[in-house]
Amino acid sequence: MKKKIVSLMLVSAMAVSMVACGSSDSGSGSSSGSTASSGDSASTESGSGASEGGDTLTVWCWDPAFNIFSMEEAAKVYQKDHPDVTVNVVETPWEDVQTKLTTAATSGDLSTLPDILLMQDNAFQKNVISYPDAFTDLADSGIDFSQFAEGKTAYSVVDGKNYGVPFDNGAVIGCYRTDILEQAGLTIDDFTDITWDQYIENGKKVLEATGKPLISMQAGECDLIMMMLQSAGSSLFNEDGTANIVNNDALKVVAETYKELKDAGVLIEVNSWDEYVGSITNGDVAGTINGCWIMASIQTAEDQSGNWGITNMPSLVGVDDATNYSNNGGSSWAVTANCQNKELAFDFLASTFAGSTELYDNILSCGAIATWAPAGDSTAYAEPNEFFGGDAVSAKIVDYATKVPSNITGVYYYEARDAVATAITNVIAGSDIETELQTAEDTVNFNMGQ
Amino acid sequence: MSKPSKKMSLDKKHNLTGWAFLTPAALLILVMSFVPMVKALILSFQTGVGAAMKPCGIANYSRMFKDTVFMQSVKNTFFYLIIQVPIMLVLALILASILNNRNLRFKGLFRTMIFLPCATSLVAYATIFRSLFANNGIINLALTKLGILDAPYSFLTHPTSAKIVIIIGLLWRWTGYNMVFYLSGLQNIEYSVYEAAKIDGASPIQTFFKITVPLLKPTILLTAIMSTNGTLQLFDESVNLTDGGPANASITMSHYIYNMSFKYVPNFGYAAAMSFFILILVAILAFIQMKVGDKRD
Repeated sequence: MKKKIVSLMLVSAMAVSMVACGSSDSGSGSSSGSTASSGDSASTESGSGASEGGDTLTVWCWDPAFNIFSMEEAAKVYQKDHPDVTVNVVETPWEDVQTKLTTAATSGDLSTLPDILLMQDNAFQKNVISYPDAFTDLADSGIDFSQFAEGKTAYSVVDGKNYGVPFDNGAVIGCYRTDILEQAGLTIDDFTDITWDQYIENGKKVLEATGKPLISMQAGECDLIMMMLQSAGSSLFNEDGTANIVNNDALKVVAETYKELKDAGVLIEVNSWDEYVGSITNGDVAGTINGCWIMASIQTAEDQSGNWGITNMPSLVGVDDATNYSNNGGSSWAVTANCQNKELAFDFLASTFAGSTELYDNILSCGAIATWAPAGDSTAYAEPNEFFGGDAVSAKIVDYATKVPSNITGVYYYEARDAVATAITNVIAGSDIETELQTAEDTVNFNMGQ
Repeated sequence: MSKPSKKMSLDKKHNLTGWAFLTPAALLILVMSFVPMVKALILSFQTGVGAAMKPCGIANYSRMFKDTVFMQSVKNTFFYLIIQVPIMLVLALILASILNNRNLRFKGLFRTMIFLPCATSLVAYATIFRSLFANNGIINLALTKLGILDAPYSFLTHPTSAKIVIIIGLLWRWTGYNMVFYLSGLQNIEYSVYEAAKIDGASPIQTFFKITVPLLKPTILLTAIMSTNGTLQLFDESVNLTDGGPANASITMSHYIYNMSFKYVPNFGYAAAMSFFILILVAILAFIQMKVGDKRD
């Protein structure tokens, strides 16, 4: 009997410890995935939650070569004046940031969130409106938002309040292989300040001379559609949040233009992002149009150095307010409601990403081009880039960014984007534009109704 | 330690020991599995954006029948189910009876090779299939070099071919898995039965239909239910191979539920309701298959 009682106790002890293990797991969270920033700011905290007051800021962002690098540079700049402050950068992929944010906000326990997190611009409205309690209004931060490009700040403004400090630039650039254009008797100037009609004409010439399409795009994703739409200052939503698809004349022109591009063979659709980048770097296409961050991918093809040129994108024909400038992608820093030392977080952001030309000069090497106007005046931005034919591309992009029309992403951005992508796919396959756009609007309205 | 005043009977003692061993596992299953299920059921009767949920009765359940994208995903999933499961099971059965032949050489090698796809991760194989069927992928390369196609065919941007690619992927990934079940089922059939049939002059085809299939019926039923269940929950292939495209032509139910929870404005109540819809479908189909397959009474 004694033996049995002992074994029973052992079993129950095991059960208790197993359950305890299970629950304590969530507490220690992703500390294993943390990449302590520079040597002197190694974190001593367990877990990824916000720092307990004091002089430490915990930050979530995802790209070691890009935004993590930038955040660490910002920490170095800030530490010059504030040697006691440490910044603990935790590498967290965007999908994980979104999932963790969703989990924290829906469970009502915000303590797992960091002090500052990087947010995709397209998801900003959705998250702030879905989880208003998880973010901090930056009105008292002392940051002068008028120094940022207007089209960029608009992403992180909800109900007239600023919730984000803009980080990287997503200004759209047209990149072209000048050596391929030459074979068709064209130069980069033939693609500057043009309309899509001229673009298609040029594209046909290039196709005839070299057999290469001008541009590749990922099928089923509507990056180019959204870029075209924003270039005319148009959005898939109205100011009041209602869908603006069927009665959106600019969108109709965009759909027609896209179909025309595809039918003429000037645009080729590929299946995945890897194929898309591959088609550019392998020289299967004569160029691309995308956010300026695409330069980092293009520059991996080192053998093509000097054969690339950069200019603005074509403008829509027959649409009021059509411009040659747009935006795609980019992200902004948000301060969470879990931040215990808001003054420090505000001051940190105000004196780095919203106040230090030195920082922006330092991070130019990784392709992070500022949306903060004073940074563009720095001499570093005027330096020529040999890869792009000795052009001062950074200064050019900062100039483009200031001209980007602002648009409304709305809360239901991803729903609308997918619905429009479906419509465009069907239009290319031969369906009627009006009916497809009506279906898209119905889908979006259905999703917005609870 | 004080002894219990009344001695327990042997039966009682045995029962108690049994319960003591069962309790930890049962508790864990209860906490980790059943509590979330009940919570999800409650959630499916609520609606709202993000964390702000309020009760809504059965609105989520009636909503899904008006949701064109969800209905499309149900259609797609049943298309996979109706085409892929029978082909796969028949193929697995044929392979199993070929590999069960005692006179076949290198049996172990063949069995391993056919089972090997099951060891690959779903995401990895889906990604590889995507590049195989890309415009400049090896399939298009082979077809154009052989002169079957003039120009590369974009398999993944046409509705029908995208679905077929998913079905081919599923066949490659799961046939060997089902074959192993059949092989183990075949071990329970006395070899002398086959020898007797052979002496009586039965052809291999006759042996297959008159002996193998009837004796394997319980295993066939098991694999049919498992495959149905797996196909209704299909997710990785839809996400990684085609991304639901073109124009939602290959999206599955689980993929749409994922989008509803994590890609779009989170509507967890509706997502939970759709998950229960899948549960009900699986239950109904399994019930029908058991009724059809079980001829004992």
